[in-house]
Amino acid sequence: MARHILYLTNENLVSLVARGGRIAGRKVFPVSGAGQEEFERFLKELGPVPAHVVTDLVEEDFRVDTIPHLGTRDREVVVGRRLNQLFRNTPYRHAIVQGREAEGRRDDRVVYTAITNGEVLRPWVEVLERLETPVEGIHSAAVFSGRLLTDLNLEFSHTLLVTFTPGDALRQTYFRNKEIKFSRLTPVALEEGETLGTMVSGEIGRTWQYLDSLRNFGSEDRLEVCVLIHPKDRPVVEPELRDYDRIQHRLLDIEQVAAKLGLKPPPLSSSAEEVLAHLLLGKGTENHYAPPELRRFAVLRSARIGVLAAAGVILASGMAYAGWNLSFALQGREQDFHTVRQIQAAQRELDEIARSMPAQGIGGQTMRDAVAFYSGSLKEYPTVAAMLVPVSVVLGRYPSIRLTQVAWQAADDDKTMPRLTPTIPRETPPLKALAKGSGPGLPPAQKAPDDPTEASFSSGRQSVALLEAVVNVEGTDFRKALGEVQGFVDEVGRIPGFRSSLVDSPLDITPKVGIQGRLAERIPASSQARFTLRVSRATEPRT
Amino acid sequence: MNPVFSKAGLRAMALAWASLGAAIVAAALFAWGSLLYLEKEKRDGLTSQRELQQAQARVDAARRERDDLKASSAIFEDLLKRGILREESRLDFVERLGRLKARHQITSLDYEIAAQRPLPLPGGRAFNAVEVLGSRVKLRAQALHEGDALAFLEELATPESGFNPISRCTLRKLEVTADVKTSPRVEADCALEWISLKDKRGGRAN
Repeated sequence: MARHILYLTNENLVSLVARGGRIAGRKVFPVSGAGQEEFERFLKELGPVPAHVVTDLVEEDFRVDTIPHLGTRDREVVVGRRLNQLFRNTPYRHAIVQGREAEGRRDDRVVYTAITNGEVLRPWVEVLERLETPVEGIHSAAVFSGRLLTDLNLEFSHTLLVTFTPGDALRQTYFRNKEIKFSRLTPVALEEGETLGTMVSGEIGRTWQYLDSLRNFGSEDRLEVCVLIHPKDRPVVEPELRDYDRIQHRLLDIEQVAAKLGLKPPPLSSSAEEVLAHLLLGKGTENHYAPPELRRFAVLRSARIGVLAAAGVILASGMAYAGWNLSFALQGREQDFHTVRQIQAAQRELDEIARSMPAQGIGGQTMRDAVAFYSGSLKEYPTVAAMLVPVSVVLGRYPSIRLTQVAWQAADDDKTMPRLTPTIPRETPPLKALAKGSGPGLPPAQKAPDDPTEASFSSGRQSVALLEAVVNVEGTDFRKALGEVQGFVDEVGRIPGFRSSLVDSPLDITPKVGIQGRLAERIPASSQARFTLRVSRATEPRT
Repeated sequence: MNPVFSKAGLRAMALAWASLGAAIVAAALFAWGSLLYLEKEKRDGLTSQRELQQAQARVDAARRERDDLKASSAIFEDLLKRGILREESRLDFVERLGRLKARHQITSLDYEIAAQRPLPLPGGRAFNAVEVLGSRVKLRAQALHEGDALAFLEELATPESGFNPISRCTLRKLEVTADVKTSPRVEADCALEWISLKDKRGGRAN
């Protein structure tokens, strides 16, 4: 972006056009009608490049003052009023609030500065106004030159910066503790027998005397005088600058300064405008003298840039958000394509499976139903032998027990109780239980289940049998007989997959039922006691 | 007054303000449009995923069915060979009972074959393609030995062709006089179902 520095002196206006942060063009316009016309033509050709006017004029005045410490708004009012009092006849004025006094009321230190004669600016300002040039500000070279000392690390309690202007003048600016207090411009008009060195030395001496008369220095203070000078002028000036206890000179080689600040190419003379312009381009500075009316085109330009930048940011944000969404959407779309391909593959596989299905002459459904019925109802259907053969093996180990009757049934669940007509042993024992609903000598009545002929076809998930048997009782030794029977029941229950339980005991010895005994004079050596047990077996789980 | 908001300023800034407005509208449109598109893609994605799951479920079901059918096919072949879809041949059954009686030394055999009926299955289960038919057979057999009776019943329940599951059986020892060695010692009173299937659509298979 191009920028335009207009360095105005009482003799001429130096135009410095910068591009990419570097000074790319220099043109000098004399302070005259012709110079202004030429400047206008030049400015027309240049176009609306933002301009900074840097003033280095004799008419610049500096006043040091203190005001009571106030809030920002009140201070602005007081400072504005004071500026108006001091520089009533010029719009080009500025106040610099520098800090607070260390003692007393701790007032604010203020330096007021102004271009007391606005006429020196008027012709140039008229051109700028006419061409609607965006003027960023009018800056005081003296005020701004303090930046040079900071950048060169030349910060002392009392510093006098001496620079040459393109208008053949000598600018001396006094800084106390980095705060500008005074500045003076002296034309370089050498009298006969006078050299630049003697002139500079003389002017520095006069300035010191003036500052000292204003009691700027204490008894131990020393003024550090920094002279920015080109190597070609140095031999003339350096011998004349003698150091004293109270004055110390430092010659700043303008080429070395330019190198340090990154200014290329270095200036060709001792004139400081290019160094200051370079600093201004690099870090910028506040406006000093330009009234708001003069800056309106720059304000509009800045606002326009700001609004367009905001528009760009908003548009970019919208596009970025849209791009972000689109990236996810495209990922989703890609995933979708992948999913669709998977669906198509699944469909192809489905068709392939359908083609490879085994065909049945009378239809797949018939086959499925027939197989389902067979697997669910017939495949594992229990048989009588499968139940009785393992039981008979156990029975072989109990010679005192004899099986008399078996009622077996294929059932849906193990709660089924097969029907059985009880038999009465030929030789009944002398003791018998008196169950409810049964007379002495009769076995307990079996609860009659439903007639299986009327029931539906059993699933056969359970194989249930009611086993009736008799156990041999020797005399009245029921303890042994009951033990035998319980052992038989338990052993049947231990056959894998079998469950067994005693339904009718040979002698019910629980307190719930009565016991009848008939012990005649002669007790038979042995008798037979009837008992029943229920055995169930679950068939294999069906598929 | 800030020059930006003066009449001249507004005029000078008109294009910039218009650009800002257009940028806001365009950004909103971009954002809104892309969001709509993203949501549509998300919906499409969900639909596709659902369709994929359904398709995969169909494929899995088809695979299972194919595998079932392959397994069932072999079983069905066997069932067909055993004549599950054939009509009852009562004469064959009667002859078979005679053969079994002789083979297992059954001293007496009384039986009764009921009329064939649709067989009620547990839980009222029914099949779409086949009808389950059953003929209840009640029989009373007397044998000299329990082993003969059991062997007779076992062979009766597992015929080479047809299905005759015994649903109920009572085995009882008979009182015998000591001097008569040939009198039966055990009696079996049983009921079995003679089961066959009928194809509802195509009648019976041969």
